[in-house]
Amino acid sequence: MASQAVVIEGLSKKFPAPGGLGEFAVIDALSLQIARGSFASIVGPSGCGKSTLLNIIAGIEPHDSGEVRIAAQDEANTQARIGYVFQSPRLLNWLTVEDNIKFALEAQNIRRADWDERVRKYLDMVGLAGQERNFPLKLSGGMQQRVAIARAFAIEPDILLMDEPFSHLDEITARKMRIDLMRILERARPTILFVTHSLREAVFLSEEVYMMSVKPARIFKHLRVEIPRPREPEDPRLFDLEKDLVKEFFAVLEQAYR
Amino acid sequence: MNRAMALRWLSIFCFFALWWLGARLSTPEILPGPLAIGKTILGNFAAPGPEDRSAWFHVGITLARICFTFAVAMALGIGFGLAMGLRRKLELAFGYWIPLALTIPTLLAVFLCVLWFGYSEAGGLFAVIMTVTPFVAVNMLAGAKALDKELIDMAHAFKANRRLLVRKVILWQLMPYIFSAFRYAFGMTWKIVALAETFGLKYGIGYMFSFWFEQFNMAQVMAWIALFVAIMLLLEHGVIARLEEKVFAWRPVHAH
Repeated sequence: MASQAVVIEGLSKKFPAPGGLGEFAVIDALSLQIARGSFASIVGPSGCGKSTLLNIIAGIEPHDSGEVRIAAQDEANTQARIGYVFQSPRLLNWLTVEDNIKFALEAQNIRRADWDERVRKYLDMVGLAGQERNFPLKLSGGMQQRVAIARAFAIEPDILLMDEPFSHLDEITARKMRIDLMRILERARPTILFVTHSLREAVFLSEEVYMMSVKPARIFKHLRVEIPRPREPEDPRLFDLEKDLVKEFFAVLEQAYR
Repeated sequence: MNRAMALRWLSIFCFFALWWLGARLSTPEILPGPLAIGKTILGNFAAPGPEDRSAWFHVGITLARICFTFAVAMALGIGFGLAMGLRRKLELAFGYWIPLALTIPTLLAVFLCVLWFGYSEAGGLFAVIMTVTPFVAVNMLAGAKALDKELIDMAHAFKANRRLLVRKVILWQLMPYIFSAFRYAFGMTWKIVALAETFGLKYGIGYMFSFWFEQFNMAQVMAWIALFVAIMLLLEHGVIARLEEKVFAWRPVHAH
């Protein structure tokens, strides 16, 4: 059995109900496992609790019950390294591109001697070599998101969380970024948990797809995408897979909303 | 030199030309000309004035008072403002004190302090700190409220410790508020210090206004006013504005 990078067991999270009466479960008894080095996507409609799930894994939101275990690759490091790419870049606009990456390196207590090498390597990887001294606000939205991706990769995380990272970009830029992400993964292979509402994006990028229903968030289907990489966005096998999954999704959602 | 610069210089030139013209049409007892005022200022620096104190001494005293009260008011204001902005309970408890303090007219605060402390150094300085602090606090309160929670979450996600969070995430977001408080508080401080010196404190530029005012010496009164204005303009536009440009270089508006 491949070693698991992330194991989630019986995770539950309640929010106060709108109107202030009682609580409702956003996530209820959710379990999932992600093998080390694999690219897993969670697909679900907006508001199904996908971002909440990532925030819980990242440790920035508490949960009510259940367990989240992230295995640290480096035995010496007891705390697992978690990289996070958000919907918006969330860069520190007052720091240069380089210093934004160093911020994450410093936060993760990575040796100062390695910083310059890491910055160079990962900026080059996302295609931003030469932008070290630029300020984020002088870059386009797509470039800012590339910096955010470089920042998350640079800490060489045990798990990389990506929360609809391309949804704020125009479709042409987003498409280019997806293809570029595929290329990056040929060079660096962290375990990735990618969250999206787009089945097309999920089947194109991932090896494993988890489909999530709403109220409460529950995984109702798990499948492996067996199409080998590198994949073409226009691959008819991807379209067929997407079509089947969409059908299944609607069947489940109709029940959920009834 | 570009057009904007040329216009600015022209405007400054016009100001002095009008002053000079006004002085020609009036008498030195009513409006002394710019040259006469310049000579009076230089004379005040060159030779000791009343009580054997030269202008250096008075300028020094005034600047020391401004620096001291300004530093204290900024520190207190930032402390109170942030505490209130970050702790909901403190805001509920003390939020109403700020408008109360802001509403007391400055002039009355100075008189109040004279009544409390007499014509003493402590009274004057207390009046300044008491009036300026709430302005700083109200700015910092707004700054703390405007902190971007998404960026703080980002820092937590990357496991930034508290020190790093404050240094690289929070402080920079507060900068615009700190600076606007800084500017405003500085402007208030020097005005109130001048007021306090005029009415209560011994020595300083304001003290010299009132000294020469009582002698009905127009040239000296104007000379001290002109000196005061020149120093404060230099500090505000020369020092603070430069500093601001440095700190905000990352903003596209300041891009060159």
